[in-house]
Amino acid sequence: MTGTVESETELIVLPKKGARRGPEAQQPRRSGLLKFGHWWWALPGIILVVLIHYVATAVGGFFAFTDWSGIGDFAFIGFDNFVKIFQDPTKIAALGNTLFLAFASVVLSNIAGLAIALGLNRGLKTRYVLRVLFFMPVVLSPLAVSYIWKFIFDFNGPLNAMLGAVGLEELAKPWVADPAWAIWTVLIVIVWQNTGFAMVIYIAGLAAVPVEIEEAAAIDGTNLWQRFWHVTLPAIRPAVAIATTLGIVNGLRVFDQIMALTAGGPAGATETLATQVYKQSFSLGNFGYGAALALLLTLIILAFALVQQRVTNGRPEES
Amino acid sequence: MTQHSRSRVLRHGVFAATAAGALLLAGCSSSDTPEESDGGAQAFSFTFATSNNLESPYQTLADLYMEENPDVTITTNPTPNDKYGETIRTQLQAGNASDVIQTTPGSGDARGLIGLADAGFLEPLGDTAQSLVPEGSESLFEIDGKVYGQPLDFTIGSVVASFGNAGRMGIADFEWPESMDDLYAACDAAAATGGSLFALAGAAPPNTGLMAQAISATRVYAEEPDWNQQRLDGDTTFADSDGWKDTLQTIIDLNEGGCFQAGSEGGGFDAITNGLSGGTSIGGFIPSGAAIEIAKAAPPEAAFAVEPFPAGDGGTPYIMASSNYTLSINAASKAKDASAAFLEWMSEDAQQQKYYELSGELPVSAYKTMDLAGTIYEPVVDLLASGSYTSLPSNVWPNPSVYDSLGVGVQGLLTGQKTIEQVLADMDTAWDQ
Repeated sequence: MTGTVESETELIVLPKKGARRGPEAQQPRRSGLLKFGHWWWALPGIILVVLIHYVATAVGGFFAFTDWSGIGDFAFIGFDNFVKIFQDPTKIAALGNTLFLAFASVVLSNIAGLAIALGLNRGLKTRYVLRVLFFMPVVLSPLAVSYIWKFIFDFNGPLNAMLGAVGLEELAKPWVADPAWAIWTVLIVIVWQNTGFAMVIYIAGLAAVPVEIEEAAAIDGTNLWQRFWHVTLPAIRPAVAIATTLGIVNGLRVFDQIMALTAGGPAGATETLATQVYKQSFSLGNFGYGAALALLLTLIILAFALVQQRVTNGRPEES
Repeated sequence: MTQHSRSRVLRHGVFAATAAGALLLAGCSSSDTPEESDGGAQAFSFTFATSNNLESPYQTLADLYMEENPDVTITTNPTPNDKYGETIRTQLQAGNASDVIQTTPGSGDARGLIGLADAGFLEPLGDTAQSLVPEGSESLFEIDGKVYGQPLDFTIGSVVASFGNAGRMGIADFEWPESMDDLYAACDAAAATGGSLFALAGAAPPNTGLMAQAISATRVYAEEPDWNQQRLDGDTTFADSDGWKDTLQTIIDLNEGGCFQAGSEGGGFDAITNGLSGGTSIGGFIPSGAAIEIAKAAPPEAAFAVEPFPAGDGGTPYIMASSNYTLSINAASKAKDASAAFLEWMSEDAQQQKYYELSGELPVSAYKTMDLAGTIYEPVVDLLASGSYTSLPSNVWPNPSVYDSLGVGVQGLLTGQKTIEQVLADMDTAWDQ
């Protein structure tokens, strides 16, 4: 066996000692750990995100066009599920509830959050303690919060007891089972928990507003409301955009609070798209129909997120 | 300098990777190990539904089995009743369901064994299970001649009343009403003491649904025992049925007559447990066995009894009675032999007797021959003997949406959101979907 090792004679040019090197190494020199970074190190993370988010969503979206019951086999039925959604008045009502809860919770929690942020911005000695107290509901589990509020709203619970104590017994009612009031109980719980979140965003935004501008406006003779509306509010516009975007996207997805307080009741008065997705897919074994509802909800959230992106990016920075 | 920091970074990197790998492996290896094939230790898991925090009869029986068979370990998974069906379906679909699962006959509920067996999740059972299936209801337990659930009980779906509570509420000489007029008089008497005749969980569809079915026994099935078959054949609908209209009207009348506790439209299962054990309500529409569980929290003089809901004027007394609890084996189980042995043990007379004592449900193998005088079933003995009963309609209905429409619809009737016509139309729509 002849083992011939092919070798080519190469011309190797050694750099002159001390002379400056030509173009540096192929990659720009980076400091510290980044020296060892390569683009394909992100690949495991990217694969996980693609699998868990996008592939899972796509599979769910596929089932929206079938009649799968969640177990066993299925058949492809095209757009039938979507036609069924828009022909069913209870699903239209659920869509209405979804939008109502999203917008009302954003408006209320942002107004309350901004008011608290303005109050705790500067001046008050106890403002740091108060900021912590107002933020604490945000870190609690929504389910735990909802169960406690359910107890408060219970027919034999503290709210009705308090109404009775001040002589307003006739106002006592089973709040979470009242067709008119049930959705408001859900709204109260959502706003109670999320006001703190809006508050911290606005505190951060307000911190960036220079005191001098407000002082200048005060010297010019504006009153408190004019100062707020014409000076402070325009300065915190980015914070408003962020708070409302997050608020709407989260508000459209609300689920825990509704399931714990009313389970979609009474008789479907507080059903939203999210609770209907759960009920149809898992309780009633109409997985395909539930997937269609989920796809619809996804498209709605996507639409609002895109609108908000436009609104926040389209505005030139006001410095 | 570069060499030094590079090796430091490498060392940190290797350490981080090892730590991450160790955590990952620890997480992966913590899953259940069912049966070990080496002779001796056997283990399997058992899921069943619970409606309260009191000890379940299934837990007691599992503990007893482990005492008698020290080499067997049963991991019990009590699961809340109001989400039970979707929980076991999700677990079966994901592949991490227990080996032995409590199910219900028929296809009218998410936990119905026919639906689960159709999808291939359940193991066919043997002759013992076959012999326990009540005559005439084979279609609720079998597909192609193979039985997929072993019945345990014979449950009466009617009213459970506490005569002791009537005494505690100050009603002297309380007798169970046998006509609707007597019933409304009893409602008035109970309401006058500040309590109520019935404790209702208006926000829990299983309870509102059971109430509607218990009342439908006399309004629908006493006259037409084959009503479900007529509906299956398309010869009638809920909307056309005077019996079902009468049933729902009765519920509205009960509500307006003050027969339910205040705030009943928003009550959960705790309203029933608290009302019956705390002595503010006399009865509830609960499965007969639930009385025994609640009796553990109630004082001994509670004196529960299973009573039939009175028929309307000119109607015939009738009740709902059928097997509602079955045990099934997961087709993907790795402990089928151990599970089958447990089911075999549950079917033995001694265990059937024990099941009866613990749960209050009549044992499926022996109820026809038992002497029920002096038990909570004494008031319905005659109805059982004369065959004046039918199985729960929800087990026979084709899909869970029909029963869901009924349970949700009854809450709508209580709050005034829905009319009788709307509820019946919803049930028909759900049937035909």
